[in-house]
Amino acid sequence: MASDKFRQQLRQEVEQWRSQGLISAEQSQQLAERYEFAKLDGTARDRFVVVVLGIGSVLLGLGVITFVAANWQAIPRELKLLLLLTLFVGVNTTGFYFWNQPPLPDRQESGRQRLGQGLLLLGALILGANLALMGQMFHINGSSADLCIIWGLAVLGMAYGLRLTSLGVLAILLTGIGYWIGVSDWDWNNSPSDTVRWVMHYMPLIAGLSFIPLAYWCRSKWLFGLGAIVSLMALESTLSRFSEVASYFNFYVKWVMSFTLPPAILWSYDDRLWQRLSAPFASQSQPDLETLPASETQYFRPIAQGLSLLYLTVVTYSSSFHDAWEHHQDPTSRPAQMERLMTEGLPLLLDPNLLFFVGLMAVQWIYLARPRRTGRWGLSRIDGMMLGFLVVIAAMTFWHSTVAPINAIATFLSNVLLFLLAVAFMRDGLAEGQRRIFWSGLTLVALQILSRLLEYETSLLLKSLVFVLCGIGVIVIGLWFERYVRTLRTAPED
Amino acid sequence: MRNSLSLRFWIVLALQIVLILAVPAQAFYTQMNGRSLVLQTAPVDPYSLFQGYSVTLGYDISNVQNLSKLPGWKDIEAKQKLERTPLNADAASSEFYVILEAPIGEGSRPPKPWKAVSVTGRRPDNLPANQIALRGSDRQGRIRYGLETYFIPEDQRDDINQQIRQVNSQVQGESSKPAFVVEAKVGADGNAVPMAIWLRDKRYQF
Repeated sequence: MASDKFRQQLRQEVEQWRSQGLISAEQSQQLAERYEFAKLDGTARDRFVVVVLGIGSVLLGLGVITFVAANWQAIPRELKLLLLLTLFVGVNTTGFYFWNQPPLPDRQESGRQRLGQGLLLLGALILGANLALMGQMFHINGSSADLCIIWGLAVLGMAYGLRLTSLGVLAILLTGIGYWIGVSDWDWNNSPSDTVRWVMHYMPLIAGLSFIPLAYWCRSKWLFGLGAIVSLMALESTLSRFSEVASYFNFYVKWVMSFTLPPAILWSYDDRLWQRLSAPFASQSQPDLETLPASETQYFRPIAQGLSLLYLTVVTYSSSFHDAWEHHQDPTSRPAQMERLMTEGLPLLLDPNLLFFVGLMAVQWIYLARPRRTGRWGLSRIDGMMLGFLVVIAAMTFWHSTVAPINAIATFLSNVLLFLLAVAFMRDGLAEGQRRIFWSGLTLVALQILSRLLEYETSLLLKSLVFVLCGIGVIVIGLWFERYVRTLRTAPED
Repeated sequence: MRNSLSLRFWIVLALQIVLILAVPAQAFYTQMNGRSLVLQTAPVDPYSLFQGYSVTLGYDISNVQNLSKLPGWKDIEAKQKLERTPLNADAASSEFYVILEAPIGEGSRPPKPWKAVSVTGRRPDNLPANQIALRGSDRQGRIRYGLETYFIPEDQRDDINQQIRQVNSQVQGESSKPAFVVEAKVGADGNAVPMAIWLRDKRYQF
């Protein structure tokens, strides 16, 4: 189905065409049926109602939680418990009852269903309030990390059970917040319990293996993006433990991996690999995946690659500063450092999280390079470029830390990489006529030039010259691009 | 299809209810079956005294310096050093048990605090009737007994806060202790739940 915006515009156009006699009433009727103009007003209103219900539910939930925190003294404890459980079960059951109504024939979703979904969301928030209040009534010293993670995982169960994106988003956010509270020791007075510590240790795996399948189950890009971010951020946090094996060598082992592992996994992510793996278990015979168009088989690949590029942009921009390569020479010799990594650092190298994600990365890249139509192994040009990019980052970080410090070369190379990335954005934006990509590339170039200018000692005159050139450059290139896009858009019609 | 959806909903909801009830299960069991114990508090950092609607409690036995004077602490410290490598420094906490002895003349108002007599790494089996083992955990020098938070209703917050400050400020000299003790219940497994707080001769239970 085409986008709502396009259908809205098409409807206006069709009305004009018909009034001008370009198309017959019959044809306009056919178009109206094909693009379901009748449902257009409904969908816009539906979306608005969903937003209102969502905000309303969140506020109601907050109200309940605050009410609980205000210590509700007048009622005996057993009655309180009963009241809270009744509220919890009542809201959830009512929500489920409304949500489970069969939809009316002319609408995708009825008002009652939306109300039901709002109530289910409220039920999930009340679950958290109940968990918190139970702790409070019995004066249990729970940590906020415990509360958020247990609450998040419980909501995740309901999201799976009902296949609801809204609950899934809430579950991922809660788990992510809980993990962050635990890792940063934000709630310093109450540290997480040993069970939650275990969950936190395996968070990269738990998040990856529970949130990503949920994204497929609900067909939700939001769930995929959020799930991938939580999982890989947890992996980064696992990697950061390398620096605890006190040596600069290991410190850099950590950097090499945290610079390259997440973008390499994200870039090589291919939905078809998973579909292929799950194919033997599927009951229906599936059509050959290779022959289907990408839009039908690769639901989440564009998001994964977008996140990968965003990550690389942040990495290259921050390493383009001279200070980022400030070198601290480790006094111990290289073999000694290596030995320390293999002894003290061994539990980390064999960490299941790390092993899984490194393995996943390897399998995904091999899958990318599989023989396709030509029958030969090889990466596509763009995948090959990305691989080269990642190898350069890894190689220079590694060389700098273990072989010899290369502050100047590394800084220069990072700047080259950043520039290449920005140019690639602009080129891509040009080729596809995508404004947002082109402009982010242009902004990145300008940001790079200005950062270098302010970083190094330069005379005011030069500063002014660069500012002026940058300004003129941005204006000229931007205007040219806008004109180019217009010609690109009109070209096929000529 | 619809039936299986209903089934899934009810299963998940039932599990969530079990989870809600599981939170206070142990504390409830300890409250019902545990033995009473009274602990001497120690002033805590006034800035973290009140967090939200609870009072943060610190005890004499929360202080490592006080614990280290007890017999048995050296063994626990030695064991900790042996187990601590750079990588599991923040891993699971190490646990220990403080043996407390009932004061002579029980039943006074306010109650007299129990006295810590020794520390052990393993839960002791046959203690005399006037002694209780309280489970504690040590995570990087932070000693916790699960008795550090006491929730207080909003309308009495300021009043109690004021009293705690007063009681703590009246402490003079090394030997005197604030007239602020906590009543708790301890289960046979050493886990404890706070029951009430005593400020001078007034008892508050919420």
